Amino acid sequence: MTDPVPPSASQAWLLRFGTAGALLAMLARGQRWWMLPLVMLLLIVGVGLLFLQSIHYVAPFIYMVF
Amino acid sequence: MGWLRRAWITVASEVAWRIPGRPQRLLHAFSLAERGSMVDVLFAAEATPRRDLRRKYFLHALDEGRHARVFADRVRALGRGDRAEAAVEDSGQLVEAGISGGLTLFERLGEDDFLAFVYVAEADAVEQFGVYLDRGLADPDTALELRTILKDEVFHVSYSRAELERMRKDGKPVDRMVRNRRLRRLWERYLRLTRDIGARVSGVWLTLLYFVALGPFRLVARLERGGWHPVPPRAPDALAAARAEG
Amino acid sequence: MATWILGVSALYHDAAVALLRDGVVVAAVQEERFSRLKHDAALPVRAARWCMAEAGIGPEDLDWLVFYEKPLRKFERILSTSVATFPRSWASFPRQMHAWLGDKLWLRGNLCSTFGVRPEKVLFCEHHLSHAASAFYGSPHDNAAVLCVDGVGEWATTSLWRGRGHTLEPVGEVRWPHSLGLYYSAITAHLGFMVNEGEFKVMGMAAYGRPRFDPQLAQLLRLEADGAFSVDLDAFRWHWHPTEAAGPRLAELVGPARFPGTPFTPELAPGDASPAQVAESQRHADIAATAQRQVEAAMLHLAHHAKAQVGGDALCLAGGVALNSVANHRLAAQGPFAHLWVHPAPGDAGGALGAAWWVWHQVLGHPRGAVLDRADLGRSTPRARSKDWLDDLGAHPVDVGDEAPERAAADLAAGRVVGWLEGRCEWGPRALGHRSILADPREAQMRDRVNAHVKYREPFRPFAPSVIAAAAGEWFDIPPAAAAPARFMLSTGPVRGDRRESLGAVTHVDGTARVHVVDPETSPAYHRLIAHFGELTGVPAVLNTSFNLKGEPVVATAVDAMATFVRSGLDVLYVDGYRVESR
Repeated sequence: MTDPVPPSASQAWLLRFGTAGALLAMLARGQRWWMLPLVMLLLIVGVGLLFLQSIHYVAPFIYMVF
Repeated sequence: MGWLRRAWITVASEVAWRIPGRPQRLLHAFSLAERGSMVDVLFAAEATPRRDLRRKYFLHALDEGRHARVFADRVRALGRGDRAEAAVEDSGQLVEAGISGGLTLFERLGEDDFLAFVYVAEADAVEQFGVYLDRGLADPDTALELRTILKDEVFHVSYSRAELERMRKDGKPVDRMVRNRRLRRLWERYLRLTRDIGARVSGVWLTLLYFVALGPFRLVARLERGGWHPVPPRAPDALAAARAEG
Repeated sequence: MATWILGVSALYHDAAVALLRDGVVVAAVQEERFSRLKHDAALPVRAARWCMAEAGIGPEDLDWLVFYEKPLRKFERILSTSVATFPRSWASFPRQMHAWLGDKLWLRGNLCSTFGVRPEKVLFCEHHLSHAASAFYGSPHDNAAVLCVDGVGEWATTSLWRGRGHTLEPVGEVRWPHSLGLYYSAITAHLGFMVNEGEFKVMGMAAYGRPRFDPQLAQLLRLEADGAFSVDLDAFRWHWHPTEAAGPRLAELVGPARFPGTPFTPELAPGDASPAQVAESQRHADIAATAQRQVEAAMLHLAHHAKAQVGGDALCLAGGVALNSVANHRLAAQGPFAHLWVHPAPGDAGGALGAAWWVWHQVLGHPRGAVLDRADLGRSTPRARSKDWLDDLGAHPVDVGDEAPERAAADLAAGRVVGWLEGRCEWGPRALGHRSILADPREAQMRDRVNAHVKYREPFRPFAPSVIAAAAGEWFDIPPAAAAPARFMLSTGPVRGDRRESLGAVTHVDGTARVHVVDPETSPAYHRLIAHFGELTGVPAVLNTSFNLKGEPVVATAVDAMATFVRSGLDVLYVDGYRVESR
């Protein structure tokens, strides 16, 4: 097996948006539709979290600002 | 730089060995680290193309395995620590290792850099354990074990240094490799720190979010009851169903 | 063109892959056999790489990659449970959300980048359906009830399926947080063992006890009139606490938790412990015995429901609870089904193979294939390379070639403890004669020697015997329904009364043994070894335990085997026909 080529950053974000969409669609169809607003909020937090993770080496400086 | 590192190790060790319960945690961490390093070096014994080095790696790995057990025994002997850590020690299992899926350390670094890594890590350990002994920090029984372990570590330093010397003769930039490894170790420690900080800060934010946003939904949410439940029907298109919810 | 399907299980415990070529298993192996990290849960990159290399394909040749769970359903369960247990879940919520929002939720992308496949090839199978498929499609039964019992997947913790031909149809499920697997794990933690690791130890401990806590524990796990069970959620907290499974109520009912590592000295094996210590250990044994009996009763209860709902004469089992070999024996001996079939890797690892089979049979519509009658589906090393390794390590291997089984049998008869590595490693947690430590089963002292000086594990833990198929019934009481599980060492039953004397090292304190029946067709070398030992000693069985030290995964290569060999009290090592003596 050749070592896989990681998808580009834009592809990765595209896939994540797809996942987020699938999650919302799943909830909208099921009994737990009431979780939709909560999940939307968490997804926004999640995007922030992923962004911060990708630059976590500057974390001490960012958190000093907050 | 050497004196700075030694000063830092001395201060950190003086503090660590004086807080009650802390030595157990330290020894537990050593035990895990030695187990992780046994795994790493055993891989090297398997993967190296150098037949003369294979045996050295192998003996090195055995030493690390023995040290892991000695440290675990010391944790037990020093008395009851944390229940969860004790369960880990009791199972003998490795919960943290130098590998998080994917390639082994040896595969990532290649033979030359791996040797530089071994040299730097073992030399640091010799220095650290040396401080514990010189300053009389460890209890007598642990000190006795540390002395034996120190002898093994000196062997690890000497064989990896001999290999580095051989590489120097081949014209490889050994000093730069060792320096890079040291910097890399510092950088990785820094990354661990930032990751910890990141996790803590996100923990605070998520806790705030929990109390602000989850409360109202509590009125709607129910835990499921026990007993059998009917299963909702699956989508008729098997392939579409297989793609969904992932 | 062949169709290649890669099944993947990961991210909880026991990550594994299984590779199918036109529905046939090419290789199946847990990541721990590569990473040397027991129960490794990381995405199984190295296992996948090995399987594909073995098949001579690359990731671009895969037609489908299927993950053994639906991550979005799982996320829904975790989030809605946090809401339903507000505000008690305040400490677990940030940890879980950090892990999920920062990583686990985005599994599709992670699978693509890790394994190098395109997103449209990635599929997801429900956790319990993966288990059900692993049990049903490998079985010889094309009409069966399929029961899966484990900790939890997405929502289901127990599920019942109707298997017909190549389809699996859901019948019912028990939902989180009511979980038999987590109940047993909570007891495991209370008894001072690591969850997902110490459950076997609880089973071993149970034999020393009496189920005297039945009135107390019956309040916590109730069998329901509808054929399922429920758990007293006020007594447990696995659904909201970040680290603890049980609340104070458990300790009020059965006494305080055992601290990990406390010596176990019950009445049947008191050693030189004080009466107070013996009483304390006996209490631990009695808790284990009660919980064990409860799980057996629950499994029987579920099986009766399965019989009533699905009918037929065969029951296929999977899920972590199906590793409880004592419960399996009771199902076989007292249950309503004439045939029992258990997947050799019933835990989460097996989900990788189940998910792959599900894609082949149910999604793509192919008919049933061959029965899974062997477990040596994992990693192997070319013989020449093993020899080089052994040479380099100074082991001085002697090539005994095809005579290895007879030579090893002679070593065993001479009282030596043998490390035995042959061919491919086993799929699942059991060593079945490919990565085994073997010893003479006749004297009880041998059990103590192997526990204390070879494997460095607790003295109360029993060892299993491997017996040749032709003599199995003569030595062990194996109900007909347990014939299939016994081939994968998944059933524990009585040693025949008149034979216990001759099997002192493998007969547990309650007169039972977790017998492994060895078939001459699928394990020819190992069968020859045991048969020859029988000719030499009159006992056609050997003591068989997995080739590893406490806390480490079963060895995979000659280098791993050597590392275990020199650190343990093994006398002789066999690696694919090379014999190494301890010096």
